[in-house]
Amino acid sequence: MEYAIETFSLTKIFADWWGRNRVVAVDDLNLKIRTNEVYGFLGPNGSGKTTTLKMLLGLLHPTKGKALVLEGDATDPQISSRIGFLPEESYLYKYLTARETLDFYGQLFKLPAKVRKMRIEALLDMVGLKAVANRTVGTFSKGMARRIGLAQALINDPQLLILDEPTTGLDPIGTRQIKDLIIELAKRGKTVLLCSHLLADVEDVCDRIAILYGGRIQAEGSVRDLLRHSDKTEIVTGRLSPATLEKIKQTLADDHTEYTIGSPLDKLETFFINIVARAQQQAVPTSGAESGTQISEFLSAKTDERARREAILNQLVSASPSDEQAANTDTQNVQPQPVPATSADENLLNRLTEQVDSKPVTTQPTKAKPQPAKSDQPDKSILDELTGRPSPDKKNAHPGDSANA
Amino acid sequence: MRSIWAVAVNTLKQALRLKIAAVFIVLLLVLLPVMGLKMTGDGTLKGRMQAFVSYGLSLTTLLLALLTIFTAAYTLTSDVKDKQVYTVLTKPIRRFQFVLGKLFGVILLDAALLTLFSVIIYSITILLPTLLHADNDQIAQVRNEFFTARASLTPAEPDISEELDKAYNKLKQDGEVPAGVDENPVTRNNYRNELARRIGLRKRAAVVGEELLWEFNNVKPKDPNQELFIRFKYDVAVNPQDLSIYSRWGIGDLRQLRLGTSIETPLYSLERKDLIRTFREFAVPADAVAGDGYLALAFLNDPLNDTVVIFPLEDGLELLYKADTFTANFIRAALLIFVRLVFLAAFAVFAGSFLSFPVAILLCLSVFGMANMSGYIGESYHAVGVQPSGLYSYFLKPLIMLLPEFDQISPSKFLVPARLFSWSSLGWLSFTTICLKALPLAIMSLLIFTYREIAKVIV
Repeated sequence: MEYAIETFSLTKIFADWWGRNRVVAVDDLNLKIRTNEVYGFLGPNGSGKTTTLKMLLGLLHPTKGKALVLEGDATDPQISSRIGFLPEESYLYKYLTARETLDFYGQLFKLPAKVRKMRIEALLDMVGLKAVANRTVGTFSKGMARRIGLAQALINDPQLLILDEPTTGLDPIGTRQIKDLIIELAKRGKTVLLCSHLLADVEDVCDRIAILYGGRIQAEGSVRDLLRHSDKTEIVTGRLSPATLEKIKQTLADDHTEYTIGSPLDKLETFFINIVARAQQQAVPTSGAESGTQISEFLSAKTDERARREAILNQLVSASPSDEQAANTDTQNVQPQPVPATSADENLLNRLTEQVDSKPVTTQPTKAKPQPAKSDQPDKSILDELTGRPSPDKKNAHPGDSANA
Repeated sequence: MRSIWAVAVNTLKQALRLKIAAVFIVLLLVLLPVMGLKMTGDGTLKGRMQAFVSYGLSLTTLLLALLTIFTAAYTLTSDVKDKQVYTVLTKPIRRFQFVLGKLFGVILLDAALLTLFSVIIYSITILLPTLLHADNDQIAQVRNEFFTARASLTPAEPDISEELDKAYNKLKQDGEVPAGVDENPVTRNNYRNELARRIGLRKRAAVVGEELLWEFNNVKPKDPNQELFIRFKYDVAVNPQDLSIYSRWGIGDLRQLRLGTSIETPLYSLERKDLIRTFREFAVPADAVAGDGYLALAFLNDPLNDTVVIFPLEDGLELLYKADTFTANFIRAALLIFVRLVFLAAFAVFAGSFLSFPVAILLCLSVFGMANMSGYIGESYHAVGVQPSGLYSYFLKPLIMLLPEFDQISPSKFLVPARLFSWSSLGWLSFTTICLKALPLAIMSLLIFTYREIAKVIV
């Protein structure tokens, strides 16, 4: 199967009651989303993203053209049993509890009771709602509802995941988790169609993107190709002595090249995650969602053998996407960047960082340590690695350790 | 099937947790016992019980019907409006399964609640004599006239066509038929109908000193030791002074008298004085019935009266005998209500499959109202006696025929007079209501929902 989603001249025209005032929502769209690709669907409000998704899923009938999803019709139970869909808002039954909600959707997939139960617990754990699993969804905040929405989209371990603005209403940790999850799922061979107007989300995870406007694709290609400035070069190094810096400036001046020099900024996202992770280590109580612990096992591994193989692979590759995010750069050679307290050219954000945490706030230190090959624990969360937060069993064994960290 | 079941259970949870059902349940749980203890009817124990069963079942039917309409219309329309269908219908479930699940959910709710309230009404009814410390006479009356299911036989309408032809021809010969009536088929028909009505009336009327005879075949009482009941109502030409009629009745196999053979089954005769225009009832032992199920009834307009006595066509005279138990009859009454709720559920789901909630509710309530007044609407047109207009003939009448006629047979109609509502009647009613009326609606709603666009137009 080359393409997970393929559309042929897909067109949707909305007419009024009398058939007049036609609005072309999607215009002759030819999408080709490859299997095992993370595809970003971008566009301003009203550009036809959601309409396209609804046509893919059979919720709207195309005016013209055809859509193939997993080489078939998405309304066919054979096909839809392999699709996970998260709509633009989590449209849930408000009177069901979180657990009942997942159970209901699990039953629609005809999952055996045992599998259903196992997956529900794993997913609740993953989206961090285990503690509130018996509360009705109607009492949930938007972000919590979003988490349940995500869990229902994953209950069938889908081959194709269609996410319509998955991060709306989520806190930065949840957003980061979803992004990590998408990357993780892509590694397991799943295809993800991500529809969003939050450019940062798309940029971080997508292999290819399409920008939609007026129902037509205006640009399509890999993120890197679309964003690369081929006439510019960026070098990131460790802290340089004034002498070295002067030398470089001199060289560049000799070369008559325009340049700017400064310290790279951390992303606010990373900073935020560090702060919350520390609060969690200090066991500050919360009534909301907790950060999930790990990507659910059934999503990440099918068999023990595969799990073991992938665990090693995991540890080798798990940090590379984070590198890119942390450094916000096109290059791969990011190095640890400890920032001394006396640094002269710091901005406000960096000063704040120093006050709350003497440790460097980039993601590197955790990753840079050699990792012991723990073949029986393949699914250590990227988030945990990122933040240095111990896994729950560790936390239970030595509650004091983490607090002192 | 599993997906249908999952949707059905979900619908059930919705109805129970959104407190729609709770309001109705609490209302009934409070009202039924209060009705049981406070309703007096005509003051006798039988009257109280009749009033309680009648009003209790009617109230339950009404509230459950409303609940069914609201739940069934809400469950589908709200899923579309609040867009839960986006997540549900993108799962491996066919749309028809989704609609069927909704329908089954509502039917399950109905079945559960109807069972609950039927049991409550039944228990209160059974316990009422004890609770009210009724005396033995009243208990005996209730046992004979209320806690039973009596089959009803009405006299066969005599064939008067020959007599009618004879009378008409005679009138024609005598030149008494108005000019022009015989030439036009419509006027001739009207004239003959009027003539037939008069002949029929004459057959049901007895002048002073005259006797009327009714013959019944197929009288099959369960047990010859039980009693037969004769229920009747008098109409009179002139009101007697004390509004009462003196009568003599003869009951039994009257062929034995005519043929002068030996008497094998007993013959009973009695004298009575009864109010006019009121249902009256008396009992005779069931051994009066001949071995072949034949029974004759003779009525004599006593010379003490000074008026013609007429037995009305519809409910002038009935022969009743115990054919089944009250419990069995009550169960059939509950099933009858259930069949109606199933129809309403199918109709409300049908309305919800393409309409918004308020419009669907409006449509369902109109249909419910019409189904409850179908007889009245039809009668009102016939009573006027004019040629029905096109609106009635081509719109109202077919519509009434498409809808179930809830007012034709209602549980209180047979439970109050302790009349047998047989399994075959229930079966036929269920067949017409569910298979002929509800099923096409259900199929239509499945088709509409399968082919309609679910998502709203958002550009």
